[in-house]
Amino acid sequence: MFGKNNKTPLPPKKKEDIPYIKEGIKFKDWKAKNGSAHKWRTIRWSVLIGINLLFVLSFMFDLSLLEGSLSGSRLFGFYLMDPFNSLQMLIISAYTGHIKLLTMNFIIGFATIFIFYFLMGGRTFCSWICPYHFLAEWGEKLHNYLVKKKKIKEHTYNIYLRYVFWAGFLILAFVTQQLVFENINPIGILSRSMIYGPGLVLLWILALITFEIVYSKRFWCRYVCPVGATYSMVGKLSPFGVKFELDKCAHCLDCQKVCLVPHELWFVEKGKATSKRHDVGSDCTRCGLCIDACPGNALSYTVKGLDKIL
Amino acid sequence: MDKSDHELNRRQFLKSSAIAVGALAAVGAGVGYLQKVTAENRINQKFLRPPGAIDESTFIYGCIKCGLCVQICPIQAIKLAGIKDGLAYGTPYIDVRNQACDFSCDSMQCVETCPTAVLYFKQFKKEGEKAIEKYGATHERNAEYNPFPVQILAMKSIVKMGVAQVKQDSCLAFQGKGFKGTPRGSDFKGINRSPYTGDAKATPVSEKVYDEKICNICVKECPIGETAIVMADEGNGNLVPEVLSGCTGCGVCVMVCPTEEPSIVVEPIKS
Repeated sequence: MFGKNNKTPLPPKKKEDIPYIKEGIKFKDWKAKNGSAHKWRTIRWSVLIGINLLFVLSFMFDLSLLEGSLSGSRLFGFYLMDPFNSLQMLIISAYTGHIKLLTMNFIIGFATIFIFYFLMGGRTFCSWICPYHFLAEWGEKLHNYLVKKKKIKEHTYNIYLRYVFWAGFLILAFVTQQLVFENINPIGILSRSMIYGPGLVLLWILALITFEIVYSKRFWCRYVCPVGATYSMVGKLSPFGVKFELDKCAHCLDCQKVCLVPHELWFVEKGKATSKRHDVGSDCTRCGLCIDACPGNALSYTVKGLDKIL
Repeated sequence: MDKSDHELNRRQFLKSSAIAVGALAAVGAGVGYLQKVTAENRINQKFLRPPGAIDESTFIYGCIKCGLCVQICPIQAIKLAGIKDGLAYGTPYIDVRNQACDFSCDSMQCVETCPTAVLYFKQFKKEGEKAIEKYGATHERNAEYNPFPVQILAMKSIVKMGVAQVKQDSCLAFQGKGFKGTPRGSDFKGINRSPYTGDAKATPVSEKVYDEKICNICVKECPIGETAIVMADEGNGNLVPEVLSGCTGCGVCVMVCPTEEPSIVVEPIKS
């Protein structure tokens, strides 16, 4: 915690080792040469929209593909459960005794989500499935524009705030014996609004996104969302992630600028890396924006262990 | 990272935490307020929950608001509550005046699909087993005996969503009036399976035409039958609907009642 790092960093790169100087061209030309396409963003948005559309179409045309909503669903008959929602429910029902009645389907759904995101990197859910993430990405663009025009100032908080909220919402749920968080959860609200029709509750989403645009960038995803925090814990030891190769890096920090969780990319700064290769931590949403942004292809998707064999 | 950086980070974290605790306290206070408001008009007296719903105090946290019951219902009787309903937001209910639960799915799919068992099947299972026993006895006498109606009837009779109440002031039968035509007009979208036609599926209420000397549509359309509602002699020779103990609170009678305001209402069961 608190960004503590006990390893000593490697000495800064020599000038002749920096990629564009090695190739004998200017930084600008090097950047233009390698160009940054939106490859992963396009794929990711397609998956995100596709999955949410599948929910909507399954209800609209009564198909047994992906029924339910993001709070709990059924994929070809196999149940899937939202982990934070289930966790709140489990804590209350363990106390009241309702836990004895829970169905096998619930256990299967909870376990499936747990195993899947343990393998795929917990917060992969955030950027590849969560509909609020999609909205917030557009909010972020607007926010960045306003900051650039000097209309507003940037406000940042500590990234570990999420865990305070995580514990807080669990305690609140236990004390009130209600799923308090689900009433303000933008994931569930947006998912249900899309599938079962919109309601007044969307005003809350509007308030949230407005706050993110005019005050603090990606406030909900970065500092509050306990669902993201849960996934972050689930994917702590996940093999799937993004790797960093120091040799290809020119320390331009383009990746940090586009990243939702720039603290996970601490090693790209000059003189910070402690080894030739680094893997991002569990706060990373595996969104791939940094991979698209990197002019030197120093960042790429990886499966830990597997890439050494291949 | 040097020590001062570390210190700074910690101070920032503590400051942010204070904000978080404040925000959570605000949410908590909001929840407390809503609970106080809804305590007077307890939600369990307001909503008619789908079949098999367990007691409201468990239902409110056990329901994870996924909406699978909404999706599985073939006649779309189940709806999700909006934010106007406070803490009940996202939980399922049945608006019987617009679309009642007519049991035409024959299997309580909403109960089967519920992953967190707030729509709970075990009590039905027991009844189903009893029905199979009964089938065994009947089957020996009549080899062509179909087991399912017995089981379905048993499951239906164990459902207790609420109890219907006849409003004597407006009920046509109490005034000795009959009814001719379609009860809810031709635009009405609700559907139900009439127990007397032998249809396998639910058909629109708007297609049904009645010509009754004394209005008895609620009794005719009741999916449970004579254990739930009958036309009984009032004492002076007039036949009027009378709700009996077998009523499940499914609300088909409310849906088909031809008066402007329904003359029969379902009171949700109180836990």
